[in-house]
Amino acid sequence: MSSVEISHIAKSFGEVQAVVDVSFEVQRGEIFGLLGPNGAGKTTTIRIMLDLFKADAGEVSILGGPMTEAKKERIGYMPEDRGLYQDIPLERCLVYLASLKGLPKAEIKEQLSTYLERFDLAEHRSKKVKELSKGMQQKAQIINTLLHKPELVIIDEPFTALDPINTQLVKDVMLELRDEGTTILMSTHQMHQVEELCDRIVLIDEGYNVLYGNLNEIRRRYSGHAVMVRSESDLPELAGVEAIQSHNNAVKILLTEETKPNDVLHQLVSKNIALEKFEIAVPTLDEIFIKVVEEGEDR
Amino acid sequence: MMSKILLVAINEYRVNVFKKSFIFVLLSVPLFLGFIIGFGMFMDSQENDDAPVGYVDTAGILQDATPAPVENPEEAIQFIAFETEQDAKSALEEGRIQAYYIFGEDYQESRNAELVYYDTPGQDATRQFNDFLQINLLSDFPSEIALRGTEGSSVTVRAPDGSREFPDGGPPFGIVLPVIIGLALMFLLMTAGGFMMEGVVQERENRTIEVIVTSVSPGQMVTGKILGIVWICLTQLVAWILFGILALFLAQNVYEISWFQNPVIDWEGMLAILLIGIPTFFLSVALMFTVGSTVAEAQEGQGLGPIIFILSISPTWFIMKIGEDPNGPFAVALSMVPFASLLTVGIRNMLVAVPWWQIVLSAGLQTVVALGAIWLGGQAFRFGMLRVGQRINLREIFRSGTPRRKKLSEGGVS
Repeated sequence: MSSVEISHIAKSFGEVQAVVDVSFEVQRGEIFGLLGPNGAGKTTTIRIMLDLFKADAGEVSILGGPMTEAKKERIGYMPEDRGLYQDIPLERCLVYLASLKGLPKAEIKEQLSTYLERFDLAEHRSKKVKELSKGMQQKAQIINTLLHKPELVIIDEPFTALDPINTQLVKDVMLELRDEGTTILMSTHQMHQVEELCDRIVLIDEGYNVLYGNLNEIRRRYSGHAVMVRSESDLPELAGVEAIQSHNNAVKILLTEETKPNDVLHQLVSKNIALEKFEIAVPTLDEIFIKVVEEGEDR
Repeated sequence: MMSKILLVAINEYRVNVFKKSFIFVLLSVPLFLGFIIGFGMFMDSQENDDAPVGYVDTAGILQDATPAPVENPEEAIQFIAFETEQDAKSALEEGRIQAYYIFGEDYQESRNAELVYYDTPGQDATRQFNDFLQINLLSDFPSEIALRGTEGSSVTVRAPDGSREFPDGGPPFGIVLPVIIGLALMFLLMTAGGFMMEGVVQERENRTIEVIVTSVSPGQMVTGKILGIVWICLTQLVAWILFGILALFLAQNVYEISWFQNPVIDWEGMLAILLIGIPTFFLSVALMFTVGSTVAEAQEGQGLGPIIFILSISPTWFIMKIGEDPNGPFAVALSMVPFASLLTVGIRNMLVAVPWWQIVLSAGLQTVVALGAIWLGGQAFRFGMLRVGQRINLREIFRSGTPRRKKLSEGGVS
């Protein structure tokens, strides 16, 4: 069953068409990536999903139907940067925002202590939010999003301002939540994080879906007809090869249309070439992102 | 579980009430009034000198002088007769007296006297000596006539329609009280509107609003905020009332100021002020909320505050015009103008009994305008809450009230 179903939504602000036609589904218990260049319509899509904006057209189903006030308590949302009261102590701010999610005060206190300890913010709980560093504020926002144990987490740029240690911490938390059955919709520009975390993605550009589906399938779809090979010995001449390109510590062998990767592997093995690496060349998500967006610009 | 409206209200209250600016506003009005009264009393004490006053009476008008009655015997100034001007001058030089009068032999004809002093004698001394002189000049008349002479003029002011009568020449405290309450309400609606606008702009700026409206409905949020602001204003009002009661107690019992003694409160006037003041309060809050929802920065919205203030105090500029004909067309029209109505009705009520139909009509008009402003505020909030850093104009707000829908063709997902 899907946690989120977005079907052909559109939204414009005056003359500006922010979202033209976007559709996707987020399955229960997956980490889903909502990707797109700046101004693609990601934030508008999220706000439509959360019923902050009414769509001009299309349908939205969230947690099995239209958004209701009761469902708000089952959703955790973190907007891109800020989102916390700056002039009040961190603990008071988080307790207040969690209480609006319907969590009893005793439970808030208990949960909050655990999270503050885990995110290394316990000793800063009495400080005003504005006195915290950007990274600390980001962690505080993540705590605010998760404190009420939501079924669906919608999180915009979760790794902004985080150092590698805290980035890993947030990733660990997200993976734990997914394993516990929480659905996570993540919007980010950090493609390597998407590759590590997301099961499926949708790429939006200029208000349209341009890419949607399982991440591995998409990468395979864009893999082209090539293999990556690394060997200590020099590669012999191979049949069915169009070109050989250096690629980091390996070579990328571009195959002719009729050649299969197995044919190349067979040739290498039969010539006793010691292989350290042999894999089908799959593009990074960064490369796919750039390719798809550039193709969109050319259209 | 506590209602979300209540949670928002409590937060709004806590955020604002513990601000330095709130405590400043809370204390500023009573402190300002205290300063004015204290300064006046200080100046008064500087003007008063309770040292004796001398006189040299060669005219023989103060022989066997009768003392004039003094309202407060403790403040009575001693008058000392000197045989010669030289004796009086010596006493003045030695500081035994603060001044002395010389009544020449021709005083009965000329009515000219001389006053000799180094520093201008205090007002009390001058007034008491005048009474003393007056009562002795009238010593040939029956005592009640002599006493009446010292009391001075007595003017009773009556409204042409007979609805107001002021035996002391001016409105008593009980009649002025509704105007004071009106002024207090005016300050309240200014501060309440300010808190509302500042809060909304800040929440838009720091995007807290985006998080909050994913927890509560916009309606719950706005209601909670207004409730919180009302509590803040009630706190302010209670504090001011307590200060007012203290001031009244001091004025009645310590300083024994006659104007404050046995006040007869004009309850009808109070009711009129409240009937108009309450919708005006909500109008101010709603307008500031609308502005807060539409401006890009708090500074941009600060222009509305002075406009509301100018409108609110505008009746003081027309006080003569209102006074000339308190039930005339101009005064009645001004009583209907939002914000100006509060003080206009207060001033008119001091001078005449304002017809109830006008009060009800004014209160009704303020209510309708306030409801319109609340509707506008709701529209502006829904439309502008997430447009951070952008200014939104009225046309956009009104257009946002009518959703536009269009059909899209099937497909489109690659």
